[in-house]
Amino acid sequence: MSPFWIVLLSTLAGTVVASVLACLPGLHIYNVMGALVLGILALEGTTHAIPVDVYLPAFTAMVVGWSMLNTIPAVLLGTPDESAMFTVLPGQKYLMAGRGFEGTMITAVGGLAGAFFLVVVMAPLAPRYLPVSQQVLKGHMHWVLWVIITFMLMSEWPKGGNRGPAGWAKFYDAWKTLLAGLATFALAGLLGFILLTRSPVSHEVAFQNIMPAFVGLFAVPWCLLNMISAADVPPQKTAKSLAIDGDVILRSVWSGGLGGGIAAYFPVVTGGVGGMLAGHACAQRDERIFIMGQGVSKFIYYVGAFMLMFVPGLNLTRGGGAWMVKALYTPMGVADYFLVLGSIAIAAGLSYLMMEPLTKLTLKFVDRFNYRHVSTFALAIIVVMVYAVTGWVGMFIATVATGIGLLPVLFGSRRLNCLGILLLPIACNMSGFGETITGWLGLT
Amino acid sequence: MKGFSHFMSGVAVASFGPWAIDAALNGNPLFFVLGGACGILPDTLDFKFYRFFYEHDVYITPDPKNPDPQYVADEYARAVALAVDEKRYVRVKLVSVRLGADFWQQYSVKIDNEKLEVLVKFGPVVNTGQVPVEGTENRYPTVARAKLKAKVIQTYDAGMKVDIFDGPTIGLKPMENGDLDLEFLPWHREWSHSLTVGAMLGALVGAGVWLASGWTPAWQSFVTIAACYGVHVVEDQLGHMGSNIFYPLTKLRTPGLHWMHSGDGLPNFLTVWICCLLIFWNLYRGQPAMTYHFGFLHLMMVGLVLPGLVFGALRWVLNRGRKAVVAKGDDADDEWNDSKAAG
Repeated sequence: MSPFWIVLLSTLAGTVVASVLACLPGLHIYNVMGALVLGILALEGTTHAIPVDVYLPAFTAMVVGWSMLNTIPAVLLGTPDESAMFTVLPGQKYLMAGRGFEGTMITAVGGLAGAFFLVVVMAPLAPRYLPVSQQVLKGHMHWVLWVIITFMLMSEWPKGGNRGPAGWAKFYDAWKTLLAGLATFALAGLLGFILLTRSPVSHEVAFQNIMPAFVGLFAVPWCLLNMISAADVPPQKTAKSLAIDGDVILRSVWSGGLGGGIAAYFPVVTGGVGGMLAGHACAQRDERIFIMGQGVSKFIYYVGAFMLMFVPGLNLTRGGGAWMVKALYTPMGVADYFLVLGSIAIAAGLSYLMMEPLTKLTLKFVDRFNYRHVSTFALAIIVVMVYAVTGWVGMFIATVATGIGLLPVLFGSRRLNCLGILLLPIACNMSGFGETITGWLGLT
Repeated sequence: MKGFSHFMSGVAVASFGPWAIDAALNGNPLFFVLGGACGILPDTLDFKFYRFFYEHDVYITPDPKNPDPQYVADEYARAVALAVDEKRYVRVKLVSVRLGADFWQQYSVKIDNEKLEVLVKFGPVVNTGQVPVEGTENRYPTVARAKLKAKVIQTYDAGMKVDIFDGPTIGLKPMENGDLDLEFLPWHREWSHSLTVGAMLGALVGAGVWLASGWTPAWQSFVTIAACYGVHVVEDQLGHMGSNIFYPLTKLRTPGLHWMHSGDGLPNFLTVWICCLLIFWNLYRGQPAMTYHFGFLHLMMVGLVLPGLVFGALRWVLNRGRKAVVAKGDDADDEWNDSKAAG
């Protein structure tokens, strides 16, 4: 078979597999990729070794398909990962108004617009400008993280303290949410130090050691909340038009591109953080732009970060997907860059086409069963996934993380504070005093 | 301006200190963190601390089970009468109406000075994102009115709309001609938005640093804090509300230049973006052994002018033939609402 057909078929297969897997709550595509990487490494040197022409486009397509379709469980089943976190609230409002299909498809249009922006606008400019910015920012990434952490913690609005006479009681009422936010950040950070320094998860599943914590912090609390408080989901309508135009798409790409770009480029800054920063910077109040912008941001965060590894002359690895592929292969020049860009374009088109039938299928499931039962089912899948991948140790980590992830739910503080799990230990490590802190904690 | 614009301005100002870049290259992020934190600090002091200790004379608290616009209008008129009769400054709190975990009853208060009336109308139910819930727009069509004892003069167009989280405070100040001057959020941009307070804070922290680490880091901390705090005050002067620039030497807010509203999207985004470019330029200048070289104008062309022109041209093409309707903003209300909406 010619290389063209091998690449095309691998791309199509990767997209279809990732699109279907994306509908399963709690399963991150990096978990699947991690397992595949271990398999490919095991086959290396044997007669069944898998060539790079097969796995490279397939992995690219898997990242694309997943980043496009993981909106489905996030919005319709209420099980987001952290990058889809911001789409859940407006998305679930659409769901509760019988417009779940519309909300999901608007995000998908955002993903497609993000693919266009990445391949047509960013890709030609990246080899010229990114190596320059990389040289300028070298040695400065650590303080960028600290500055982001500072803004994240300082910009949370006190939710209480709205009534009653002035004084300490009112102040305390207001600061309950802020203190809960700070506690969430600190506890998540502590968990992060433990997991990144002395992970109890077996080294055989090394690619997955943070997965149970992420599931516990972000997905499980949503499921529990839905199980406890879910109102009945009304019958869902399939909209004939999404009521969006070129201007809405352009403004979504503007804000989402900025957020996703920040998240893709800076280490440890995830899609959720990028989305928050872009939301503050661009000040878009239109809910459609917000939802579509999150679709753009999520796509550029995952796929853009993966693409960076292949930008000629940049030599930059960002995101879990790129790190896993790097264990197998080192990109070589322009040919690999074009291969990846082509795969992104094809996979984005195909996964967008798969969005509509898979959304309708999931909505049928949601329509047919009580939403409380849907959430219970989603939670059961998550538990099975965590157990299957990381065993009882992973279940324990997920339970601890769920306790931390429930704090924002109970106190009404920002869920983004859970990202302290990565931000705090890695910012400390990058500034050079991570080891001192792990020493204090008795971890090293 | 919005919080993020102030924050980024603070980081940008900090990046002009060569010591900040040297420290950062040696793994010390403190000057940049100080810059950002002090850039947003004046609003943090107001919104997260001071307002909870601010006493009110009249609390207008509508009943969530039976929202009555006439009650709000009557109470407002009572507050005006109190200020007129007792010839003193009266602080009024318009309390928000929470209907559920994510739902709030919006209401608005408007002054008609020609007829000497206050007009109150209950609007739609909104969610915490301030988006109206469908079908609730016309639930309360009645506009309640109450007679006022004096004209209430607004120096800027603060439409008093009450919805999510906390409701606003207004101050009614008797003037010599018998009218009342309305101050929106009188606790905001009072003592906290002052260059002298920024300098005092810088001196205080600088003194602590001097005791701990000596003279050089002390003056560097002082300059960083005072400049980054000060840039917030200067930026706020571009809007309508202004600040009490030299408190405690001055007692009143100096009105702003009216160049923008604090919630305007474009000026805020431009501020953030230009700050990013300035930070990038300063890091470039401080980076030893660069193999790539470019000038400031080149950076501005590539980073600001060209993308701006392309974006503007695309928007023009996409919106040709359409009539653009731009909502009229107001300075104080934008800042108040945007801070809340940002969560």
